[in-house]
Amino acid sequence: MEKEMNVTDNDNFDTMADQELIVLRKTISVDQKFATGPVMGKFLTALKDKRILAIQCPECGRLQSPPREMCAICRVRNREWVEIGPRGEMRMMEYCYYSSPDPLTGESRETPYGAIGILLDGCQKEEVFWHLLRPEHLEMVEMGIVMGDRVTRGTRLRPVWAQERSGSIDDIKYFEIDE
Amino acid sequence: MTRNVSICAMAQIKNQPAIWQHRFQGMLMECFESIMEQTQVTFDMDTGLRNVVTCSDDVFDARTISDAAVTDVVGAHFRGEEKVAQDGISALGYAMACILSGHDDLILVMGHCKESQSESRNMCTNLSFDPFYSRPLGLDYLNAAAFQARAYMEETGLTDAHLADIVVRSRQNGAHTRHARENEQVTAKEVMASPLVADPIRQMHHYPVTDWAVGFLLCCEERAHEFTDNPVRLTGFGSCMDSYFLGDRDLTAHFALKKACARAYTMAGITDPEKELDLVELNDACAYQLPLWAEGIGITGKARGPKWMEAGGMDKHHVNLSGGMLNGNPLMLGGLARAAYGFTQLQGTAGINQVTGLQRALAHGTTGAAGQHHAVLILEK
Amino acid sequence: MGFKKKNRHVGIVGIGETKFSSHREDVNQPEMIHEAVKDALEDAGLTMDDIDCVVHGNMELFEMVHQPDLWHTLGTGARGKDAFRLTTGGTTGGTLVGAADNLVAAGMYDTVLAIGFEKLQEGHTTGGITNMADPLWARKLQSGALTDSAAVKAIAEFGPDRAKKAAMLYRIIMDKHACLNPNSHRAFGLDWDQMADLMENSPPLIGDLRLIHMCSQSDGACAMILSSEEKAKQQCDHPVWIRDHITIHREETLNLCVNHYPNETTHRFAARHLYERNGITDPLDYFDVFEMYDPSAWWGADWIRDFFLLEGDAHYRLIEEKEIMRGGKMPINPSGGVLAANPIGATAMVRVAEAAKQVRGNAGPHQIPGTVNHAIASSFGGTMWTILIMLEKELNW
Repeated sequence: MEKEMNVTDNDNFDTMADQELIVLRKTISVDQKFATGPVMGKFLTALKDKRILAIQCPECGRLQSPPREMCAICRVRNREWVEIGPRGEMRMMEYCYYSSPDPLTGESRETPYGAIGILLDGCQKEEVFWHLLRPEHLEMVEMGIVMGDRVTRGTRLRPVWAQERSGSIDDIKYFEIDE
Repeated sequence: MTRNVSICAMAQIKNQPAIWQHRFQGMLMECFESIMEQTQVTFDMDTGLRNVVTCSDDVFDARTISDAAVTDVVGAHFRGEEKVAQDGISALGYAMACILSGHDDLILVMGHCKESQSESRNMCTNLSFDPFYSRPLGLDYLNAAAFQARAYMEETGLTDAHLADIVVRSRQNGAHTRHARENEQVTAKEVMASPLVADPIRQMHHYPVTDWAVGFLLCCEERAHEFTDNPVRLTGFGSCMDSYFLGDRDLTAHFALKKACARAYTMAGITDPEKELDLVELNDACAYQLPLWAEGIGITGKARGPKWMEAGGMDKHHVNLSGGMLNGNPLMLGGLARAAYGFTQLQGTAGINQVTGLQRALAHGTTGAAGQHHAVLILEK
Repeated sequence: MGFKKKNRHVGIVGIGETKFSSHREDVNQPEMIHEAVKDALEDAGLTMDDIDCVVHGNMELFEMVHQPDLWHTLGTGARGKDAFRLTTGGTTGGTLVGAADNLVAAGMYDTVLAIGFEKLQEGHTTGGITNMADPLWARKLQSGALTDSAAVKAIAEFGPDRAKKAAMLYRIIMDKHACLNPNSHRAFGLDWDQMADLMENSPPLIGDLRLIHMCSQSDGACAMILSSEEKAKQQCDHPVWIRDHITIHREETLNLCVNHYPNETTHRFAARHLYERNGITDPLDYFDVFEMYDPSAWWGADWIRDFFLLEGDAHYRLIEEKEIMRGGKMPINPSGGVLAANPIGATAMVRVAEAAKQVRGNAGPHQIPGTVNHAIASSFGGTMWTILIMLEKELNW
């Protein structure tokens, strides 16, 4: 599919015909200590108790989960918390065939996998929650679609919690069909 | 030029060794909320803020497109946002241009840096060097500064005792500055006993790891009254890049700083900086840089730094009454911290160290190893 | 108060581009940048002595160089000049042109050299883009700039047959354009009869986004020289004038439903405000060429609607009737666009550079027929950020 250009065939690169070109290969790593802050921290702590929290904008009322300090639309600080889900309806799926690396670990992800948007119970419109689908269920789910008045319902999903939970995204292993 | 630019408001959090309890988004939010409260500025597409200039760095944030993480907390959702990824004084210089061009009346400038997030700031600055030669040699901003410090001490006779005096004074002044990092007061003897981190630079000669965020509201002069009774004008800006390889530079020659100043002075109509600057804030990441940059901006002569210090030059010219970067501001924001302090002085709200009768201040910022890039901003009442 | 006229006019007087390629082991970063700078200076008939200020941008974590403008001084010629570094992700190249325009219009500098570059071969591009996601959540989930959300939306609205055909038709038109541009990184020589095969057999990346739909990872640099009206007229017979530019960002993406619901996109918002303040009521009629930052064929096909403020399937009809081809009603990306070459920090500047060359009439083999008086270029980056830059042949607005 991809036609690779041959460097030596190109008129623009005419000076290096006889020279060995050396490429230095380095893995660069600087350890980081990411703060969660009080807002993300409260959300992550709740995951340990198998609860999913959203933060609510005091002006427009929209829910955000994972939560953020401010509502970007209203430019005000979010203060109120609401528990959402943990069950919901699939609204979006990225069916990923491309094996991309996880930049936090450097490891390639196993393919195929489904990165999904779930409208957790208690949420509406664009308030979807981003996580992964149980790989065995990739071919068995439908995504719900809203186009103006046209609404189709997506597959009901529930979280599968990790045995050991530390307050991280990995506390939810993935979402699976809720039947 | 047909317009003038004013700073109408500034908001900052306290400089701290490690703001472990907040994401950098939370740090910026406090500054943003303060500016909104002080000025009641809106984001109306006709009369309000249409554009935000941010300052941060991908390597220090460990995030590609570090400004993508802060769009919400700087108010830039469905507005413009442009990130200046060098010392923040350039963000103020660029924001000036946005207003002088006629493109915008108002610009919000927001900067953040969390030095405590990385295991080592020196590992970060090592990445600014070319991967083939200088980086494997282990160069970073600290040991590059050590070369410059040694060259400057050789040239001028600056001693370990001079450097100790700068550190003692910096910490005394820092203790009088609101939002400055809280450091222990030290004696000259203690400074001279602090361990060498890159000979001749001792630990206390080098600014401590610091987290900070700051915001400024800039406005065209004719609308400044809508947001403040006490604006501070920006009347000059200039910057200059020097050569990359340290060996290609004369490390004490002030090539870039002199050119940056010449442009800023011309724009502000300054002919004699020694007489016309009432307050000077220099970006001294290391103690030796205070007299070195003082020479560069022309408030003392070439190689006269130590003599100038001995004659009381630092206090006479009101240099780094904030404590300077040496007291603790993060990289990227050293210049913004200088401008922030100049602003409080010109507003007359600097507290114990307030200078009376101030008309004009210089704020300086520098990016890169041993001052490869310099930028200066002139602020006036 | 509203929007004001510029303090002074600004013209493009020099354009330089490197050849774009998947690998440039023959040059290091400053050497590659130097090629574009030299090209721009030669194009303008200027030397570095004429340059007052250098503006540089890219993304640090693609090549893992912190503040690379410092090292790149070896190739940019910035020593002794005022120097800025601005970066905004994929939109960087547009930000650099907008910044150079502001710096000159402000009266601070008469002549500014803007440089965008990327050497994507020197890092992992998808890993580098994924690094933009929040480390506490989305970094685990995002796969770079790869997404089939545009395909999902288009298929839901127009049905799979029409949507998939429109995306592939768009892709082949872009390739036909790319084949005429000697700087293209990817020019396959695709033809219409390959559509069915590509729609079935091009390797899938995500959902209905296939390898053939997606932009490349390229090495390359672009440089542009901008001058004040007075200088530009001395330096150049036919400067291309920058009329206006607008930048619109949006919040960080923490969910996948972006654009899934029919609300106003950044593209439409930016276009609406830019046209309103410049008195342009029918952009499809007004502009003679559009250089769009189209990261994938799905996005490119979809965004035509927003950028020209169209409704319904008007954008699909433009594609289906091949009106976006050279010689059509609205030629889009005669350069081949981002599908032909994508050195990310330069990509958005290449859009402006290519649009300006079309205005000058000397784009080379891919010059479109007829006179180009009004051109527009877009930048894309971050989380659906957009920049639009308007170019004019004459100073008559």
